[in-house]
Amino acid sequence: MTADIKQKQQSKYSFEQTTGMILAGLILVFVIVGLFYTPYDPDAINAALKNHPPTLLHPFGTDYLGRDILSRVMVGTKATFFISLLTVLIGGGIGTIIGAVTGYLGGFIDELLMRINDGVTAFPSILLALILVGVIGPGKYNIILALSIIFIPSFARIMRSEFLVQRELDYVRNAKLMGAGIFRIIFVHILPNTKNVLLPAFAIGFNNAVLAEAGMSYLSLGVQPPDASLGRMLSESQSYLLGAPWLAIIPGIVIIVMVLGFGLLGRTWGSN
Amino acid sequence: MESDKTILTIKDLSIGFETKKGLLQVTDRISFQLKEGEILGLVGESGSGKSVTALAIMGLLEKKARILSGSIQFLGKELNGCSQKEYENLRGGQMAMVFQEPMTSLNPVLTIGSQAEEMLLLHDTKSDPIKRKQKVLELFEKTGLTQGESLYDKYPHQLSGGMRQRVMLATAMLCRPKLLIADEPTTALDVTLQSKILELIQKLNREYKTAVLFISHDLGVIKKLCKRAFILYQGKCVEQGMTEELFIHPKQEYTKQLLSASVGRDYKVSKQKDSVLLSVKNLSVFYPKQTKTFFSKKTKKQVVNGVSFELYQGETLGIVGESGSGKSTLAKALSGLLTDCTGEIIYHGREKLQPRMVFQDPYGSLNPSKSIGWLLEEPLRLQKKSGSNQYNRQQAEQMLQRTGLPIEFYERYPKALSGGQRQRTAIAMALMTKPEFLILDEPVSALDVTVQEQILSLLAKLREEFNLTYLFISHDLSVIRRFCDRICVMYEGKIVESKKTEVLFGQPENEYTKQLLNAML
Repeated sequence: MTADIKQKQQSKYSFEQTTGMILAGLILVFVIVGLFYTPYDPDAINAALKNHPPTLLHPFGTDYLGRDILSRVMVGTKATFFISLLTVLIGGGIGTIIGAVTGYLGGFIDELLMRINDGVTAFPSILLALILVGVIGPGKYNIILALSIIFIPSFARIMRSEFLVQRELDYVRNAKLMGAGIFRIIFVHILPNTKNVLLPAFAIGFNNAVLAEAGMSYLSLGVQPPDASLGRMLSESQSYLLGAPWLAIIPGIVIIVMVLGFGLLGRTWGSN
Repeated sequence: MESDKTILTIKDLSIGFETKKGLLQVTDRISFQLKEGEILGLVGESGSGKSVTALAIMGLLEKKARILSGSIQFLGKELNGCSQKEYENLRGGQMAMVFQEPMTSLNPVLTIGSQAEEMLLLHDTKSDPIKRKQKVLELFEKTGLTQGESLYDKYPHQLSGGMRQRVMLATAMLCRPKLLIADEPTTALDVTLQSKILELIQKLNREYKTAVLFISHDLGVIKKLCKRAFILYQGKCVEQGMTEELFIHPKQEYTKQLLSASVGRDYKVSKQKDSVLLSVKNLSVFYPKQTKTFFSKKTKKQVVNGVSFELYQGETLGIVGESGSGKSTLAKALSGLLTDCTGEIIYHGREKLQPRMVFQDPYGSLNPSKSIGWLLEEPLRLQKKSGSNQYNRQQAEQMLQRTGLPIEFYERYPKALSGGQRQRTAIAMALMTKPEFLILDEPVSALDVTVQEQILSLLAKLREEFNLTYLFISHDLSVIRRFCDRICVMYEGKIVESKKTEVLFGQPENEYTKQLLNAML
């Protein structure tokens, strides 16, 4: 009986989906464990163990201050994960609402918001985020804010085009005839039908946020020392690239796994 | 004109699709022959495997589909397992195909002339440009495209559906193919155009001795055009023979069912009632025209032009017209979906009557992300008529039963339902708040004939049970004739004639009505 169910499940998931789930699952485990436990204090300096290669006690080695890399990667992944998640939820959420409302209503409000949107899109997005951070100052919360703002236009555009298509369908007319109000039509009737577009967009957005956060922390604009984030760790490793390559390799691999895992998951969400 | 030379022989053809759940067989050992100069009808409802068979002959099956067994012999050559290269030589030159949807079968960015000429470029490499153009123009002339020269440089969007279908036919016939496959070529066209395209196919068949495999779900069309026909049902060939024989003495149960559906029962109730439910006076409806720039002045297009009529309690009023006649727009104005109108819409005896509507496309009118139960309860929630969850569920289940659907459907999603079942659900949804008046906008036009019949009889039954008044909009005269007590004929936004059904069909007065009735098959 159990064997039967297992076989069914196996055929249900494609290779892409399975790989995506395993990789994303690994990251999630890393993040959740990192919330409660790290083998060492991630900020504890140990002068005796500077740039030590991986050993049994420090499986990923130690950095230039003798801090345990495994512990720092766990904390850093957690930081990157939550910053990216918040960014995509805030930016994607606002973008979705704007796109949904403008796409459904059309007319003047649509023109107005879309032209503002075009304005924001006209700037290279990372550059815009850098300028914003430059104005409001570096820090965890500030890069969430800056990245959220540059995420809004793309989500608004995607959702608008979806709503333009959906609003012409008869089920929307039917809902109107039954007396449903604008907000009920937008959020209860139409929004669930855009999930094939929305979920992959969120997954891709999450990935972009991971890379953007890593990039900004690398430039010391994001997470501030001594806190760890994946980008921060990459940035710190660069002076020791030849002597202690694990300083760069380990956070690099985690970034790749994270982006790949959620990217693959997002693709399969779209096709279902 | 018919000779004994066999052009196409299909033997035991089985085709299957690879799906996630394994192989799904769609046709089961189909066999038939097509002789030179013959028109063979292939009848079947959607999902019967008729289009797949046509695509298999043309070698155009999609990647997931496979020919499982059997043979396709064309001019003595085996096509099953033949390479794409060999197919490329045959397609266009020896065999050609015309599709159902003229709106999408032409490339929108190329001129009509260059698209037609491409056929010659590929198959008649020796000819020079002047000769090619001559040849194309000659065929345009033959297919009734009289403005040949100027048409040559036009783009598809500048042409009407009927003209596009003529262009498709002209292009298909350019190389004088031995076989023409026409896959529902008239289904997307208005009735008056339909008969003209059919005549054209007949003419081309006579002049070029091209064998035609004519695929349709419309028995009237098949009867008019084809000498011989065969009937597909669920991938199997149910019956075949001479059309006359088939239509007069059908042997199989399914054929009989199909025939009785196409002849159809009469659902009229001729009890005339006096009280007026709705009167429309001098109603005009406008659509905003798309503006090109942000600041340009907004202009309107008048779609319905000064329409007046009255609807009596308990009657069924039919509105018939071709696409673009404004009948759907009228429905939307009456239901309140379009508000940009002048004139009066008066619902008698009540402050505000909430008309409900059933739409044409059962695939678009149900929200795909909600369960049937949710959909049925939504009108109750919106009308503040909803009670406890249990009450709502009870109401929904009752309505499922009354519309002939199993109660288990409460948990299902629209995806799992067939077209007919979806339309039943749409009707159930419309009836949840117990309205008196229902607007039916082409409610059976997207359905197969046998399903059409079931939905019509359901509507007739519900009319009795709920004491409903219907406004029935359709382009299909045979349906309107059987279902409606009174008919308004619409043409270019106006009602040109309005009479009792028998009177209208007996003595049409208006010129357009006569034309419409003549085109009816």
